[in-house]
Amino acid sequence: MKTASRLCLVVALLVVAATGAGAQSQERGVTDTEIVIGSSQPLSGPAAFWGQGVGGGMDAYIRMINDRGGINGRKLRLVLRDDGYSPTRAVANVRELVERERVFAIVSLIGSANAFAVRDYIIENSVLWVTPTADANMWAGFRNKKYLFVTYPGYVDEGRILTTYAAQKEGAKSVAVFYQNDLYGQKGLLGIKRGVAETKIKLAGAVPYEVTDRDMSGHALKLRQSGADSVILYATPTQGALIVREMAKIGFTPKLFASFTLADPLMFQLAGDAWNGIILTAYFPVPGVGDVKVDGMLDALLKVNPQLRASPFNALAGVSFIEPFVEAVRRAGPNVTRDSVVRAFESMKNWDGDVIRGVTFGPNQHQGINRIYIIKSENRQYKKLTDWITYPVGF
Amino acid sequence: MELRQRYEEDLYLVRGALGWTALLGVLAALALLPYLAPGYFLYTASLIAAHIVIAVGLNLLVGYTGQISLGHAGFVAIGAYTAGILAARLGVPWPAAILGAGAVAAGFGFLVGVPALRLTGPYLTIATLGFGIAVNQVLTNWERLSGGRAGLFLPKLAVAGVRLPDSQIYYLFAGLAAVLLWGAFNLVRSHIGRAFVAVRDSDIAAEVMGVNLTIYKTLAFAVSAFYGGIGGAMLAYLLGYLEPQLFTLFESIYYFSMIVVGGLGTIPGSILGAALLTILPQQLAGLKQYLPLVYGATIVAVMALEPLGVYGRWLKIKLWFKTWPF
Amino acid sequence: MALLAQYVVGGLAVGSLYALVALGIVLLYRTSRVLNFAHGDLATFGTFLAFAMLTAARWPFSVSATLSLLLTAVLGAAFFFFIIRPAKESSLLGKIVITLGLALVLQGATTALWGTDTKIFPFPLSETKVYRLSGIVISQLSVGSFAVGLVLMAGLYGLVQHTRLGLAMRAVSQDTVAAQVLGIPVKRIFALTWGLASALGAASGILLAPVTLLDPYMMLDPFLKGFAAAVLGGIDSMPGAAVGGLVLGVVESVFAGYISVRFKTTLSFLIIIAVLVIRPEGLLGQEYKRRV
Repeated sequence: MKTASRLCLVVALLVVAATGAGAQSQERGVTDTEIVIGSSQPLSGPAAFWGQGVGGGMDAYIRMINDRGGINGRKLRLVLRDDGYSPTRAVANVRELVERERVFAIVSLIGSANAFAVRDYIIENSVLWVTPTADANMWAGFRNKKYLFVTYPGYVDEGRILTTYAAQKEGAKSVAVFYQNDLYGQKGLLGIKRGVAETKIKLAGAVPYEVTDRDMSGHALKLRQSGADSVILYATPTQGALIVREMAKIGFTPKLFASFTLADPLMFQLAGDAWNGIILTAYFPVPGVGDVKVDGMLDALLKVNPQLRASPFNALAGVSFIEPFVEAVRRAGPNVTRDSVVRAFESMKNWDGDVIRGVTFGPNQHQGINRIYIIKSENRQYKKLTDWITYPVGF
Repeated sequence: MELRQRYEEDLYLVRGALGWTALLGVLAALALLPYLAPGYFLYTASLIAAHIVIAVGLNLLVGYTGQISLGHAGFVAIGAYTAGILAARLGVPWPAAILGAGAVAAGFGFLVGVPALRLTGPYLTIATLGFGIAVNQVLTNWERLSGGRAGLFLPKLAVAGVRLPDSQIYYLFAGLAAVLLWGAFNLVRSHIGRAFVAVRDSDIAAEVMGVNLTIYKTLAFAVSAFYGGIGGAMLAYLLGYLEPQLFTLFESIYYFSMIVVGGLGTIPGSILGAALLTILPQQLAGLKQYLPLVYGATIVAVMALEPLGVYGRWLKIKLWFKTWPF
Repeated sequence: MALLAQYVVGGLAVGSLYALVALGIVLLYRTSRVLNFAHGDLATFGTFLAFAMLTAARWPFSVSATLSLLLTAVLGAAFFFFIIRPAKESSLLGKIVITLGLALVLQGATTALWGTDTKIFPFPLSETKVYRLSGIVISQLSVGSFAVGLVLMAGLYGLVQHTRLGLAMRAVSQDTVAAQVLGIPVKRIFALTWGLASALGAASGILLAPVTLLDPYMMLDPFLKGFAAAVLGGIDSMPGAAVGGLVLGVVESVFAGYISVRFKTTLSFLIIIAVLVIRPEGLLGQEYKRRV
């Protein structure tokens, strides 16, 4: 007992928080040999699938760049921290990344709630923020986006385009929506409502689900009851697969449409035959669609980190977030400061990366992509159905 | 060794020269913190202050009155959203918003306390758990009230129109926590606190002795909810943004772990537990996906090695020093 | 009418799975008075073990399932021996927090070993092959799980009520010290109970995985519902766990269908609270008599 107490005292004395010393640098996060960037992702907890895929993809891509010698003589260093999808921890992580790790830029940050929570701090401290992974429409009308650059679709626009395509090209007359009960699903539903109003078809029903829900029998019954001939899914892979299987089980076979998060090849495994003939959106060429550059990038990522095999779509999405930043740093040349990178970003016109395509920025346009295209699943592969469909630039 | 000669001496919060020096030292350290620590640390310190208030509230209910509650996040949510709605929609200044949050939460605490009179043990746990889930679902789906999943933004803390910087927010929160802690210490030493402990140890015996169970059980819920509500309002102002996912069953379990790891039934235990379990995940954030492993293992280790919690071990250490060299 | 019947049948199917989870919780609570919050994560870990044996080692289902139940039982007993038992001075709440810590450790271990992505669990009964009876659809898997659940419940009931081992378990739960004095090997009984409860959890996980798809967090919701069902039925009654699970499943399904999908969990809990207020010891629980 006494030794235990003494041991505890010693341990307690040893645990002294040390504040890290920042490296001397020209600009915060930039030295002659490296550029430090940071990201806060849900690496544990129920959202870990997204965080580990996106974070893993970004990390593998950065390692590839460094192996080739870096950018203009500087290597990139990515500092990843786990926020467990909790806004309080996301804020703490971002503050530590900016003040303690002294990062040059923050890349991505998954979740609208987390993005909202850290938004004011990042904007007020003029931190370069590249593609917060949340609904792009959230920035429309927001003040002071000088250091903010987004290459991520807006859910409302995407929902509208998918619905109008369904009505005009696939003959859908009444749609029911199965959506995740958070901003992702709710914004998608808003877009679908606009599409329904535009094409004068009927919105027969909307069935929400919570992320922890696993029993979809009631949801499938409600969708069938709505009498719709088409069902639009605004879901994530697990529940997307579950609802599709459940609908097949009760003999309900409507036309199926889905949002880009379900364009993951994982769905073929999870939903099996029920995933044939479904029509989805995508904002970058999906692996397997026949795009050499994307397939090549995926192979390269897998060579660096074979574990990404479990989440290829998310890894590629991670690359799509960070690619424009790497290009902007390249364009900024040897003098890397926040303002020079901002100018470099704004010089990008219809730029194609290996994954992301058609990125355009300007002094008044910080929404880098404003187009999606439609694909269809056939024989366990995705096939391109349309060319790029654009939507109005929001900011 | 000091001998207590009068009853009043037993009631003293701070004893002797050593006690006063220690207390003043801690206060001085807290006051000097903004000059020594960087900005992000002040954010964490303010967060700890909010968590301390929440943890003390829960400890009053669980540790002192023996009512196992896994729905505390519900009271915190009610407090946070009350403050948010008052401040953002009705333009109420923050002192009134924070107090209002506490009052509304206390009202709900009283309401939850009424059915809790009939329940004990795991049955009460499920009932409070259900309350927490109900609050979460109502806040998620009643969008006109709470903004739903789009969330609610709060105006920044300001005094006379001047926005408060990080250090002032820290002082404000630390001061608020200190006042509430002082209140809790006094509550626990009063006849109300003794009634709570009597209810915990044996409620039927307490009733026989004249402790009105109805009044004291519902009072325990109300006081606990009051503290939770104020803590929630503090969280709301600190983050500046509210979302229902901030207050789920996971958070209730988190607050519960704080008080048990820190020391159940003791107020310093709540302080230690809140501080420890706020700092630990942040310091471990660099471990990325191994965070749950290390965090969980730490909790298991602390509880297995010291069932009385961190404060219990501290008491034992103090006792060892006091009875040295034997 | 057929729609109501469909909702009820769907509710019974998922309710039987909740009942299995509840059984594990009740078994442990009856004997050791510990609310095991790691039950769901133990079940998940066991299911992943079975998954690994089925896909990586390619052993047949019966072998994989049995082995995984055994391994999970050993894991549960190990928890008891190495962590719970040394912490015997812990209060009840302390033990609950230890199980919470264990749950986190298991979650971390599961994601570290098998990743965070969702997987298909190969199960001999099909989730998509369905039987139709007068307009009501029920999958082969639901029928199978229901049957297995019934068998396990009956077996457990028989074990506890009609064998010497069960008698020893009941003695230990009534008064540990008296049982020790009478010569009952209390440590072994506790270890056995933990093992049995964990194995039950793994069984419920294996039956759930084809329905919910296999991912490290698949048991979060079912564990919560199982816990609620256990309390609804009376947390010291095993038939109560079964009844509670089925009732909860049906209530939830009917509420989701006819009243509100969004609030179905709230409504289910409100029903539970109402039942508890009327009958504080749960539907089939014993009235709690205490010495003062």
